[in-house]
Amino acid sequence: MLRVENVTHSFKNGNETTAVLHQIDFSVKKGEMVALLGSSGSGKSTMLNLMAGLMKPTEGHIYIADQDIVKMSENKLSEFRRKHIGFIFQAYELITSLTVRENVELPLVFQSVSPSIRKQKALALLEGVGIPDKADLFPSQLSGGQQQRVSIARSLITEPSVIFADEPTGNLDSKTEEEIINILLNLNKKMKTTFIVVTHELKVAEQMQRIFTLQDGYMITEKQTSSDTELEGGKLIED
Amino acid sequence: MRISDISRLAWEQVKRRKVVTGLCMAGISIGCAAIIVALSIGDSAQSYTEREINRNFKMDEITVTPNGGIPSQGGREGSGASATDAKLDPGRLTAQKLKIVQGLQHVTAAAPFQELGYIQMTTIDNKITDLQLIGTDLRLLTKYDHRFKQGGPSDLVGMAVLNDGATVGLIDTETRQRLFEQLNTDPYNNKLMEQYNSLSMLPSDMYKQQVQLQSYDPASQNGQSLVSSPLQIVGILDSGGNPDMAMYDKKIYVSLETGERLVEQLKLTNGTAGQKDVYNSAIVKVDSTDNIVQVEKLIQKLTLTTSTNLYQKEAIADQFSMIKKAALGIGVFILIIASISIIVAMTMSTHARRRQIGIMKVLGANMGQIRNMFITEAALLGMLGGLLGIVFSYLIVFGINKLIGTAGMGMGEPLVITIPLMTLPIGIAFAVMTGVLSGIYPAISASRTNALTAIKRD
Repeated sequence: MLRVENVTHSFKNGNETTAVLHQIDFSVKKGEMVALLGSSGSGKSTMLNLMAGLMKPTEGHIYIADQDIVKMSENKLSEFRRKHIGFIFQAYELITSLTVRENVELPLVFQSVSPSIRKQKALALLEGVGIPDKADLFPSQLSGGQQQRVSIARSLITEPSVIFADEPTGNLDSKTEEEIINILLNLNKKMKTTFIVVTHELKVAEQMQRIFTLQDGYMITEKQTSSDTELEGGKLIED
Repeated sequence: MRISDISRLAWEQVKRRKVVTGLCMAGISIGCAAIIVALSIGDSAQSYTEREINRNFKMDEITVTPNGGIPSQGGREGSGASATDAKLDPGRLTAQKLKIVQGLQHVTAAAPFQELGYIQMTTIDNKITDLQLIGTDLRLLTKYDHRFKQGGPSDLVGMAVLNDGATVGLIDTETRQRLFEQLNTDPYNNKLMEQYNSLSMLPSDMYKQQVQLQSYDPASQNGQSLVSSPLQIVGILDSGGNPDMAMYDKKIYVSLETGERLVEQLKLTNGTAGQKDVYNSAIVKVDSTDNIVQVEKLIQKLTLTTSTNLYQKEAIADQFSMIKKAALGIGVFILIIASISIIVAMTMSTHARRRQIGIMKVLGANMGQIRNMFITEAALLGMLGGLLGIVFSYLIVFGINKLIGTAGMGMGEPLVITIPLMTLPIGIAFAVMTGVLSGIYPAISASRTNALTAIKRD
């Protein structure tokens, strides 16, 4: 599903070149849920940006659904992101002037999907993340946890190959953090969507199937966990 | 991306960013209002001038005279040709030809205006004035923009109609004689001139009065006058022109039959006077100045000479075309200034929204879609500004009309500025165009926003 091959990335600061990632290699299988763990400055966010095609690596290749995104043009990447990639942001990043439902529908708007289909899908997903009654509210009327649920629903609406979650619980209290992680785990199990969760919290990372740990731009460990067996059977939402 | 979605997203932004929307709308509305008002003033002033000139120069009329260019007998001036020769003259203006003209398309009236000469009119109380005697069909006078101020037309022989100019400046013989003599001896006496001028403008009630016409007998050795039988004034015309100018246009209209009798009594020899069903002048009224040329050509085919004042219209159109262009230029200049405000406001808005744009790009929006959203937003601002501009333009025109009304024009009907409906889409089109053109730079700038800004926290 996702393959990172020998990726190196460096920034130029005047005459000085600073390497932030060094020959990173790893792959993620379809339907897997992995964590990219690291402290601040470890290079995990840069790795996420590279995998999402928002930056191009200095060296190496990144394959998603067997396509090398490094070679893609800006517009091709937009199209690719539209079809294959979903995003969950730490600060939710909802459009404040749009309602919850309209926010969820937004990725489909860029795909020119008809309003009726969009609406149907959005409402189903909002139900899936446990906030069907919030569809007509605006983001400012929701709590942080509810906003993150909207962000999750939005990331799923295009049925992407992979979803990148950038510190999805970074702005939430521990109770809500647990709820959100459970939602992600359940979605992964039910929908077989591949998740790559970037986090600095070991507690969050340990709930994923595998953990890739980054430190100072190097991949230092890859650890298998058994969290996938701990899901509560059948129930998607855990309140 | 669907047009409805682009429009909806643009509308959401317009609604949400009230300050930017307000600034842009204000700029555009001023420019749009300037264009609409400028065009309306130009258009109204042109129509007003055309109406005024038409009133004085009768641009929708064709004066038809016999064709003087026919070398043989000729239509003009009583040439003394025999009756047989006269009948053969192809350039004559006859009743038969006039009937054909009456049947032409776009002709609303065609009547003989037989100019019988300049003569003196005397009232019962011995007041006199000089005026032009015209034989015509009195019933058709109203078809030539004349309005009866008093009375109306009459078919009866011995009836006459005066224009309003003929009712002013009637002075009794002695006073007139004395004034002329005094002016002859002291031509630079201002007091005398003022007295003469005020008497020349003094109106008299001539309705239902009896008058007589007199002319000098050319055959008389001692300068004796010929006096007509009495004429009854059955109507006074109101030409609607400037009353100060009326004194220079004095006319008495009589029926053709009365005219024939007067020709006989006063021994008038002007033109075709005295020839039955042959006229020296006729006036053809056309439904619109646009059809004048077409009708004129057809009349000329009847071997008649025509003349119009249409060149006045062309001269006005040329002048006002320049004025309109200048006004449009001013409006466009204001819009260009307004567009700078849009560029600044939209660029600031783009900067403030770069995070949102980045998120949209991360969610799959491409550069074209972002660009289209911003251009639509700018076009929407332009349209809203244009609509506001229409409201402004109506308020401005209302104000100007009030001002003109208070100031008073002093002559003829007042100038009322109206907004022609055609100027509204022109104003809106300019406003939307300004919006779109000013939105291009911010839109391109927005579309180039790096998607990375969406997931980077400051």
